[in-house]
Amino acid sequence: MPDGVIAGFLAPHAPHFLYGENPPQNEARSRGGWEVIRWAYEAARADLERLRPDVLVVHSPHWITPVGHHVLAVPHLRGKSVDPIFPNLFRYHYDITVDAQLAEAIVEEAGAHGLLARAMRNPAFRVDYGTIVTLHMLRPDWDLPVVGLSSHSWPYWDGPTPDEEIREVDVLGKATRAAIERLGRRAVVLASNSLSHRHFSEEPDPPDDMSQEHHYNDLGYRWDVRMIELLRAGRTREVFELMPEFTREALPETKSGSVTWMFSAMDYPEVPGKLYGYGAAIGTGNAVMGFDLTDSIVAGR
Amino acid sequence: MPAVSAFLVPGSPLPLLRGDEPPYRPLRRALDEVAGRLADSRPDVLLVYSTRWIAVLDALWQTRPRLDGVHVDEVWHDLGDLPHDLRVDTDLAHACVAATNAMGLRAKGVDFEAFPVDTGAVVANALLNAGERPIPLVIAANNIYHDGPTTERLGALALSQAEHQGKRAAALAIGGLSTEFHRAEIDLSDDHISDPAKDELNRRLFDLLAGGDTDAIRAFLPEFSDRARGDQHMKHLWWLLGASGGVQGATLQAYGPDYGSGAAVMEFTTVSEQAVETPRPGATAVAPGANRGAPVWQAAMRPGRRRAAARSWSRPSP
Ligand SMILES: [Fe+2]
Repeated sequence: MPDGVIAGFLAPHAPHFLYGENPPQNEARSRGGWEVIRWAYEAARADLERLRPDVLVVHSPHWITPVGHHVLAVPHLRGKSVDPIFPNLFRYHYDITVDAQLAEAIVEEAGAHGLLARAMRNPAFRVDYGTIVTLHMLRPDWDLPVVGLSSHSWPYWDGPTPDEEIREVDVLGKATRAAIERLGRRAVVLASNSLSHRHFSEEPDPPDDMSQEHHYNDLGYRWDVRMIELLRAGRTREVFELMPEFTREALPETKSGSVTWMFSAMDYPEVPGKLYGYGAAIGTGNAVMGFDLTDSIVAGR
Repeated sequence: MPAVSAFLVPGSPLPLLRGDEPPYRPLRRALDEVAGRLADSRPDVLLVYSTRWIAVLDALWQTRPRLDGVHVDEVWHDLGDLPHDLRVDTDLAHACVAATNAMGLRAKGVDFEAFPVDTGAVVANALLNAGERPIPLVIAANNIYHDGPTTERLGALALSQAEHQGKRAAALAIGGLSTEFHRAEIDLSDDHISDPAKDELNRRLFDLLAGGDTDAIRAFLPEFSDRARGDQHMKHLWWLLGASGGVQGATLQAYGPDYGSGAAVMEFTTVSEQAVETPRPGATAVAPGANRGAPVWQAAMRPGRRRAAARSWSRPSP
């Protein structure tokens, strides 16, 4: 099988999914919940296993770095990550092996591509929940080295504008691919993003009361379905043509750039995406999808 | 009773971690001076709002007695660790939670070991409150769906609750000004405000704050936020307007860059005590000119009622 970027997954990171799993690493306990997404991740895990990657590379919107693009580059990161938004759901003890050589190569390539990029080499750094939830849901054994990239867009600011950010993460994706190819890694790239992102402002009590879970509004749901249909059909170019309108109307989390980065790292393939599942988390729309560049998933169907 | 002192300080770690670099020296010197001014005002509690503690569900107040650990900034992780040990006035924080709920805004206390206290609160506490007897804090989160007036009401509520408990309060707004960061690598010793137009807007804001006309300040803050990409819609200043009990002027102690964006240290003159209505027990103190009775703004929560201006702060977690 070839080296390089071999696949990508759209892998959203609401802490609710991990909370619903009750893994031993998480202090918070649930009665389950969000099963449709969790079953989707189960199927995605099996396909990821078949791909036999060397490394998982994830771009997270919850490591927010308004100055530059940052890359986790400490060989071993251990600690406790408490979600500042949902501390009641996510208090996770992590133990992460990082492909620091690849991380440094991505920083070098990003710099060579004209971006402001930095390696994060501080072992006391707290890893964000976007990175952790996506990685845990796809690979709960944590037996593959990973690389984590920050989001340059501070979502609550007007700047950088979506256009500016798309240009930046497009270049970051190219730099990521160049580093992966230079080192000959078999890498899977992960976009830690939900789709439509309007959400409730009050939490159900208890938080895992699934009778309270639904899509925030019809507009967001319909936009998500439209984008998912295009992705399933491999109509990647149309997805990105629609992205500005999608961003305006559905306020998707993709605004932070993870999906654009992932597709850029894959060189915008027109391959049919495999939908594992779609559902709501506190009102947001979440699709788990895979994009196989090796045909191995297709062969396994 | 108005706050015994009130300050605006930056949330950036650069004046703490690189205070010897020429661009940050004035900010650092001013912060060191303000630490003395704060102590001289002999507060029993410091009412803190930091733009970088982002919340999206409910109005959150820290209720953990001690917030200790080592924080590493998301951007400036290479410049050093930020050990911290913040003390919270839990009696007052719980009273604020109850009063916020009573005001019709759902509120919660936050009490979790290893909760990631934001860089702004950690840095401000290290620079202003590192004495042997640290001033206990009350810290409110920046819920991105709260607008300026709502944040002012939360600040006023905290002040009122402090007074109800017989405590002398100081108000602290932690956050930036214009937020246009450099997009290319610069040496920290060359840091400067990246955009002259935003520099001009920052200076206009200082003039208004120094003038102490709170209605004019309130009127300008939205314009400033739009044109200067003001830090989190400048809600830290709205907080200060409420938590101070009202201001009648301010002194600019220092102004400088935070990797291209704007940062300032200001000390405010609070309104004289006589000018403030004595609040009824449990009621929210409102400074003269405050928009009393303004509804809590939650329009963004309802489909189809999101304000156009809310776009930039409408893309939160999970
Ligand atoms: Fe998120």
